[in-house]
Amino acid sequence: MGSGRDWTWFHRLGSPRWFYETTGRWLPLLWAVTLALLVVGLVWGLLYAPQDAKQGNSFRIIYLHVPVSFLALAGYYIMAIAGAVGLIWKMKLSYMVMKSAAPLGAALTFLALFTGAVWGKPTWGTYWVWDARITSMLILLFLYLGVLALQYAFHSQDTGNKASAMLALVGTVNIPIIYKSVDWWYTLHQPATIKLTSAPSMHPDMFKPLLVMILAMYCFYALVLILNTRVEILQRERKTGWVRDLARQADTGPDNQ
Amino acid sequence: MSNAHNAGFTGYLQRDLLLAYRRHGEAASPLIFFLLVATLVPLGVSPEAGRLEPLAPGIIWVMALLATLLSTEGLFASDYQDGSLEQMIIAPQLLAMPVLGKVTAHWLVTGLPLTLVSPIIGIMLSLPSDGFIPMMASLALGTGCLSLVGAVGAALTVSLRKGGLLLSLLVVPLYMPVIIFGSATVQAGIDGLNWFAPLAILGAMLATAVALCPLAIAGALRLVSSN
Amino acid sequence: MSMQFESFQQAWDMAGHGPYVWTAVLVSVFVLCWLMQRPLVQHRKSLNSIAVQMRREKMRQATNPEEHS
Repeated sequence: MGSGRDWTWFHRLGSPRWFYETTGRWLPLLWAVTLALLVVGLVWGLLYAPQDAKQGNSFRIIYLHVPVSFLALAGYYIMAIAGAVGLIWKMKLSYMVMKSAAPLGAALTFLALFTGAVWGKPTWGTYWVWDARITSMLILLFLYLGVLALQYAFHSQDTGNKASAMLALVGTVNIPIIYKSVDWWYTLHQPATIKLTSAPSMHPDMFKPLLVMILAMYCFYALVLILNTRVEILQRERKTGWVRDLARQADTGPDNQ
Repeated sequence: MSNAHNAGFTGYLQRDLLLAYRRHGEAASPLIFFLLVATLVPLGVSPEAGRLEPLAPGIIWVMALLATLLSTEGLFASDYQDGSLEQMIIAPQLLAMPVLGKVTAHWLVTGLPLTLVSPIIGIMLSLPSDGFIPMMASLALGTGCLSLVGAVGAALTVSLRKGGLLLSLLVVPLYMPVIIFGSATVQAGIDGLNWFAPLAILGAMLATAVALCPLAIAGALRLVSSN
Repeated sequence: MSMQFESFQQAWDMAGHGPYVWTAVLVSVFVLCWLMQRPLVQHRKSLNSIAVQMRREKMRQATNPEEHS
């Protein structure tokens, strides 16, 4: 109906119920794929990949550190895009996704910093090095914490969502600036930069499990994001008929009707 | 005629300057803070010029940043409380203009005095003489950025009661590029390198901030006062 | 492709880097598992709380028949 293209698919996308029911069908597969990839990737990387000539076995931490860092950064963009969609198209569902992405991203950023620090000790002798990558990751953690804090600071959930979305967008514009600045700052003070990840020429036997782990982390991210969004949906739509039906079906109480 | 004039940039600029002049004690506090903490550093580190000199550019910049942050919280607070913020928002003209006027007034009252006072701090912290001009240039441009970006945070948190701490959390990560290039400008001047390059980047940041921040601030103000 | 370590002992030790690698692995696995199980628990709790609320509403309706036509 209407002129030109049919946008009903887009607006249907914004329906919490549609999202809940569709993801419900795909969840078992997503669980299976995620867990399989994680297990395979970790076992491969930790036990089967050859060790690094210079760093020895401690380099194996890369199989956790790099994928988690990727997702920590990508997750911020996902969160900001979800916020932008919510602001522009006023989609409730989009805000729910944004709200789920925030703690997930913050946890991954923390994990990136932690694994990086543990990796640093045997490799460079200290737990903390103010290099470009780690410093940018730390700033990213602050950006996440800001969005989280802003979300819960307001009485009205709607205002909190919109304010967080705005802040996330401001952060998005800033992330490349921050990264470039920190990168420049670091090379200014330490001309002989040691890259924190392995040397660019990585042996394929070391690289393949890393690819598996990166893929595994993307699946993991999607899985947890969807799971959290579904919980948000249940809580926000608790007054609707379809949610009440779900609750009734799940109810194991005495007068189950 | 003069009504339309007052509703815009110059109107709010003049208004805020007048208010700052009347409350000059309050307006001077970032400046005093700047001087106070500049005294703390030698007490905490060492009085030796040799120890202070390499740290001076960074310390001056960090102190200027903190002083600006301190004063940013009050940017929209009193207007929010007495309802004049609401008036500003529902007025028919572009909200970005009064916002820009207020932020400019804030810079004139905070950033500019900091810039002018900085040579004194430079002397106290044994800043090498080659660093003074770059320092003032970087502070002049950089504090402009700080005022603009800080105002975004101030707008988002204006309706909250304990907004100050949250404001710091929101704004400090965004301040970091400014301080990187700000103190790099000073350091380049001291080392005899081309300090126009990092200064130009500061200028670019300021230009971007002037273009984008008023929009973000206006959006945030509309959001939190329709609460 | 064969295993790099000849025994569990070697794998645990990782030529001296064991504590670092396994700390990183265990903390990461712990955090990832926590991130996965948290929404599952909340999901069940949400449904239960909605069900409880519905039951309470039903009881209130049952004890106040005059409120409904």
